[in-house]
Amino acid sequence: MNCMEPIEPRDLGVGAECLIQMPLGLLGFERFKSFALVTNPEEEPFLWLQVVEEPKLAFLVMSPFVAVPNYQPEISEEDAGSLGLQNQEEPLIFNIVTVRGAQQATINLKGPIVLNRRTLVAKQVIPLNAPNLPVAHPLPIQSN
Amino acid sequence: MLILSRKLNESIVIDGRITVTVMRVDGDVVKLGIAAPADVPVHRQEVYDEIRRSNHEAATQRTGPVPRLSPNRAAQAAQPTKNRWQDRQPQPDRAGHSPNHIKANIA
Repeated sequence: MNCMEPIEPRDLGVGAECLIQMPLGLLGFERFKSFALVTNPEEEPFLWLQVVEEPKLAFLVMSPFVAVPNYQPEISEEDAGSLGLQNQEEPLIFNIVTVRGAQQATINLKGPIVLNRRTLVAKQVIPLNAPNLPVAHPLPIQSN
Repeated sequence: MLILSRKLNESIVIDGRITVTVMRVDGDVVKLGIAAPADVPVHRQEVYDEIRRSNHEAATQRTGPVPRLSPNRAAQAAQPTKNRWQDRQPQPDRAGHSPNHIKANIA
């Protein structure tokens, strides 16, 4: 993944690391603004959102569309504007995964992270349809 | 906690840059208009709390094995095409509005 180029979804799978900024931080972790998106081919489709300032703090994330192909968070005009998303510009969306044991994991569909691939600035947004989106959607985990 | 009484269409100003206006009162529902700069996040408390709690549960270290998705799901490619926010937005007769003006309208 070449961070000097706009990130394409297909790039998030090759082993690489990319710095992104979240000026508002994650909800509940507002003090951390800089993150590295870390990918490892062996861990696909998951990748890591690593807090730069705190090496012991990271979040497992993934493209929600892998697990929920018809996922449609309605991103507000204000959020799109604050990310500088221009018309026709497709953001990269990924969601935080909670591992709840060897065979249980969930994905938070209520608070997606929206990344402007051109500026590498991201925000954890609350979509307009958040009340209808689960905060802990079960992921199909392989049992071996 | 500071407690203020406000009538319909009256406002309070916070820190000289955030204005909260009572837009409508209907029974036990109060509709508030909030004008705040873009760097001031405004959220409904219960949704904010839910996502914050989920973030705290998800916080981890980048160690140990990552779960493996069941193969049928893992094989599916990302399909972001149905997610274009711009397709759902009202088309721009609102061009004159500053993006920072009315940040949220919380019912």
